[in-house]
Amino acid sequence: MAGNNVSRRDFLKAMGASAAFAASMTQLGGKLMAMPHRQDVVGISFGGWGGVAEDEGVRAAIEVFQAENPGITVEWQHTPDAGEYNRVLLTNFAAGTTPDTSFIIADGYETYVAQGILLDITDQITADPVLGQPDYFMPQEAARCADSNGRWHGIGSCWVGHHIYYNAQLFEDEGITPPGFADDEIWDWDTFISIAKQLTIDSAGRHPDDEGFDHEDIQRWGVDWPMTWWQPVASAAHSNGGAYFADGRIVLDSPEAMEALQRLSDLIYVHHVAPRSASIADLGMTNTQMIDNGRLAMAVEGSWALSWMNSSLTSVPIGTGALPTMGQPACVLQAHFHSALANTQHPEEAWQWVRFLSTPFYQTQFLKIGLWLPSQTALTTPEGLDTWITEGIHPSNYRQFVSEYLPTYGIAVRIPPGYVEAAANFIDGALQAVAAGTLVADVIPEAVRQANDVMAMAQL
Amino acid sequence: MATRVQTQPAPAQSGWKWWTNLSLARRRTILGYIFIMPFILGVLFWVVIPVLVNLYLTFHSWNLMSAPRFVGLQNLETLFKDPILPQSLKATFLYTILSVPLGLLFGFFLANLINTNIRGISIFRTIFYMPSIVPAVANALLWAWMFNTEFGLINAVIRGLGGAKIAWLQDPNLAVPAFVILSLWGSGGSMIIFLAGLQGIPDVYYEAAEIDGAGRWAKMRHITMPMISPVFFFNLVIGFINSFQVFVIGYLVTDGGPQNSTLFLVLYIYRSAFQSLKMGYAAALSWLLFAILLILSVLIFRYLGKRVYYENPGE
Repeated sequence: MAGNNVSRRDFLKAMGASAAFAASMTQLGGKLMAMPHRQDVVGISFGGWGGVAEDEGVRAAIEVFQAENPGITVEWQHTPDAGEYNRVLLTNFAAGTTPDTSFIIADGYETYVAQGILLDITDQITADPVLGQPDYFMPQEAARCADSNGRWHGIGSCWVGHHIYYNAQLFEDEGITPPGFADDEIWDWDTFISIAKQLTIDSAGRHPDDEGFDHEDIQRWGVDWPMTWWQPVASAAHSNGGAYFADGRIVLDSPEAMEALQRLSDLIYVHHVAPRSASIADLGMTNTQMIDNGRLAMAVEGSWALSWMNSSLTSVPIGTGALPTMGQPACVLQAHFHSALANTQHPEEAWQWVRFLSTPFYQTQFLKIGLWLPSQTALTTPEGLDTWITEGIHPSNYRQFVSEYLPTYGIAVRIPPGYVEAAANFIDGALQAVAAGTLVADVIPEAVRQANDVMAMAQL
Repeated sequence: MATRVQTQPAPAQSGWKWWTNLSLARRRTILGYIFIMPFILGVLFWVVIPVLVNLYLTFHSWNLMSAPRFVGLQNLETLFKDPILPQSLKATFLYTILSVPLGLLFGFFLANLINTNIRGISIFRTIFYMPSIVPAVANALLWAWMFNTEFGLINAVIRGLGGAKIAWLQDPNLAVPAFVILSLWGSGGSMIIFLAGLQGIPDVYYEAAEIDGAGRWAKMRHITMPMISPVFFFNLVIGFINSFQVFVIGYLVTDGGPQNSTLFLVLYIYRSAFQSLKMGYAAALSWLLFAILLILSVLIFRYLGKRVYYENPGE
């Protein structure tokens, strides 16, 4: 009877055969999935992230693109969160299943360019009758998209930058003139602190400079300024004559940048006008909720938040104004990129799709809902503004923000390779320490030194 | 009238005939392998192959984008030079040293509380156990709010008692203790195992002790503790392994901050792999975690295992 049993060798053979069969089926499945539906139609994939509005916008864009280009179909591979999408993209690299075209996070763009995994589309842009026009994009966009050799490996989706959101009703009730975007409406730092103090009250109605003010029992804070993400910190650093990045390095340890960062920390621990939070997530409720329920007068937040922090969705009217200046107005701009992957089998079709994403139609969809700011010059002209400024979402001074303030004070920043690792291991922790009350001079120089070592390794 | 004569058996019949021709032992063997195949395939695809790949990557540099490059022992050498790793190990050991003993004591305490026959005890048992079945993500978000400096429930109580607000999740010295408190909320799992252990102790021991004049403490020390020591040992080993692999709360509540004070080892492995794009170094870190768990498990079994009382040690 023993001879009738399945031996261990037979079993292992069967296992090996099963594994080989499964692997071949996977390969076959992949090939079948990759095959175009019809001989004359090329299918390309497009990976990206975003909330409901972005998802719907991309789907709408695909419909229009496919109608205009009957020989190309686009498969949208959507992941809700940007950080998670980047991990999805990386694992797709590992598996050899990258999409043909993709969103690329601003933090990782330079790293991907350095790795040679994004398609160089410089020649296509130059030859394009629309995108190739010298003034098609805002001047800062070229500085953001092109590498040191002037080569483009993606096109910025839009711009986003930080500004002040405020409870307009509160300002009116308190008789305080709110900030704006005209030069004479931008507050200097002392004015900003003074007004933030006027707007901050404890449970007894006292202000920070009043006798008996209890900073442990603040009922309404004057402002919240996120301190552990590079972009709002970079705007402060530039405003004070410093910078966040320069020549492929972090320069947050310059005297100007450190002074700017210390001023942000002082909002919490010296002036008592800001809640103790390193980030919005630390607040326990969103800054939109806090403005809406009267716990916050002003929020420094990215322009994208206008899509939910606007008068049509909150119970109080929302106004916007420029960031206060520590020396000169500054608003650091960034946004994700649209790129074709270098290993795509359909570079021409991938380019056509990336090109389409850089046309006014696609950008206008998200401008209208307050999510994006335009990076295309034509959309910043009076006629262009008319196509997307939306009443109830964009405050009355938003035209000035886009057409005058940003072209003058907007600063497009390139994020060097290795920053994601350097930030995760050194810079984020140092910024968290500052947000928790540690003096900037005690943590930033050492963190910047360690971070720059990591970035130097990444750029070898 | 033509008559169709079937000369070949249908395929299904052929297969059935082949099956019935097999001996009973062989059929049982094949069926047995089929039934255990999900487990075997699971181990093969999710354990054996990943471990082999991990071993391969330990000696390679791989950023997920370009092909892996052989670097010899470089990743292992980096373990000794990495400035972040000591912080990560400190967070992991501190969390383990605090959360495991406290979790054991708290679970044992709760088990004693609910090991009574008062009316509605099953409701109390359910209430105490319920936090253990809260999904990890909901648990993390709930406690992130509980520990919030400005609006959190814990600071509201502290303020109500006249104290100052505590920056639980922003002070690097308090973040791990805050996570330890969070971990105690999920002591219901060990509580149930302790309860089963307590209810397995025959009453005759307690009755005999009472006749001899033993008080509550004496009964606890000389009867309950020895009899329940295998349960303690089990919960210790499981709690220790789980605490070394803590990830979700560190990832969701603080993302390793503030100042890397909650950068637990598994979270650091994840960060090394998917943020720093150093898969080879992440593989080396995972071998370090394995080595730590292996060595400490051996030490626990060697030094604490002897102290465990087994009523029937031969079984």
